[in-house]
Amino acid sequence: MASHRLTYDGCNFFRQRLVLSTLSGKRVKIKNIRSKDDDPGLRDFEASFIRLLDKVTNGSRIEINQTGTVLFYQPGLLHGGPIEHDCNTQRSIGYYLEALLMLAPFMKTSLKATLRGVTNDPSDPTVDMLKSTALPLMKQFGIDGEGFELKVLKRGMAPGGGGEVFFTCPVRRTIRPVQLTDPGKIKRIRGVAYSVRVSPQMANRIVEAARGVLNQFIPDIYIHTDHMKGPNSGKSPGFGLTLVAETLNGSFLSAEMASTPQGQGDPILPEDLGRNCAKLLLEEVYRGGCVDSSNQSLALLLMTLGQQDVSKVLLGPLPPYTIEFLRHIRDFFQIMFKIEVQKSSEDSRKGGDKILMTCVGVGYSNINKTIK
Amino acid sequence: TKQTASESEEEEKEEEEEGALRWKEGLQQKASEAFLRQQEAAPNLRKLVYGSVAEAADSEDEEEELGGLFRVSRPQNSKKFQANALDCSRFNPDASHDWDLEEMLNSIRDCFVTGKWDENQ
Repeated sequence: MASHRLTYDGCNFFRQRLVLSTLSGKRVKIKNIRSKDDDPGLRDFEASFIRLLDKVTNGSRIEINQTGTVLFYQPGLLHGGPIEHDCNTQRSIGYYLEALLMLAPFMKTSLKATLRGVTNDPSDPTVDMLKSTALPLMKQFGIDGEGFELKVLKRGMAPGGGGEVFFTCPVRRTIRPVQLTDPGKIKRIRGVAYSVRVSPQMANRIVEAARGVLNQFIPDIYIHTDHMKGPNSGKSPGFGLTLVAETLNGSFLSAEMASTPQGQGDPILPEDLGRNCAKLLLEEVYRGGCVDSSNQSLALLLMTLGQQDVSKVLLGPLPPYTIEFLRHIRDFFQIMFKIEVQKSSEDSRKGGDKILMTCVGVGYSNINKTIK
Repeated sequence: TKQTASESEEEEKEEEEEGALRWKEGLQQKASEAFLRQQEAAPNLRKLVYGSVAEAADSEDEEEELGGLFRVSRPQNSKKFQANALDCSRFNPDASHDWDLEEMLNSIRDCFVTGKWDENQ
């Protein structure tokens, strides 16, 4: 049985390891977690993440040593159902939700999660971004239907938090293989400019600036302004923008920026934020592909877990996070992808080189799902 | 003027023939050079992703001992990737891209429906 245990060093890629361990049923040991740090061991947000994992599974065994530098995790069965979780405010809900998105389709009963904490911060993908990119991506893999939604009930900016989101996801027995090789051209740009506990005018100023940059490419731009008030506005002031470019073949590329959290560095003007965010979207368009750069690992995971058929997805350049995810997929599922570079030709003006990822799914079937 | 034109044509022909001959020189070398150039330009991504993970250097050997009792603890900056870095899926943009430049903006124009379409679309 010892061969079924995987051992890793350090707290980087923490979520990937625990999520893949849960899906594959392989035990995992993570050692030397910040062992040379002045403040060694797991942080509060990681402990919070482990608690969330414990809530969605049944029969998981988690052992942590006294200093918190070694974690042993033996996954249980994915149970799902209604859960509530107060996410630690060191990281935004996006940090927790990214992992839940990967696990949710493989639960016993469909997940109904209420997550509280920071909905928008500058470091992690925000709930607005996941709502507009990750959900349509999962639909391509056949995860769709009644009760597949992500709602922002209350908005809570960093550092105070106080936001609330509701996420439900139907369960699937198998995942459909996909052939996403041509993203098509971008037909429209949508977005949300949000503001809480500041003047509602901030959102309008963001929209104005972002439009100024994007209008030279396409006229069909609509950026919705979202100003939440009273108890729905969380504990900290702030504002931000999420932009999504939708292509003819139903791919979504997104970019986002949030204001600097109160008391953590120089404040940013809404005009600058709007312009910079628009430029980030252009950067994302330049990278291109059928999947947005922050959702690459979700797409690759669903390809791996697909039926035993060929899946192809065109991606932009691979960030270190995705590269590590590919290595972890090999460790946990023994799947290696075929990776081909598609050079962009000189005269076409379609951004940088793209990468075609091909694999044959492991034919994963959800043993947790109840048969009705 | 006709004479000069025909002369120049002949010269061109000669040049062409010479060129044709020169073109045949060292074909193998040229091909291998082109192959190497291509190899450099397109790094083998598969090797990059799956191949370079074998050497997980043991940090214990590198630690220096002071007087046989104390060990010098150093931050793990030298490692290829930081084992304890922040776990975040965000991909930071390439700093060399300046989206204020017209050249950069032009490089993505055909990604939009307003750009140029291929003939078969």
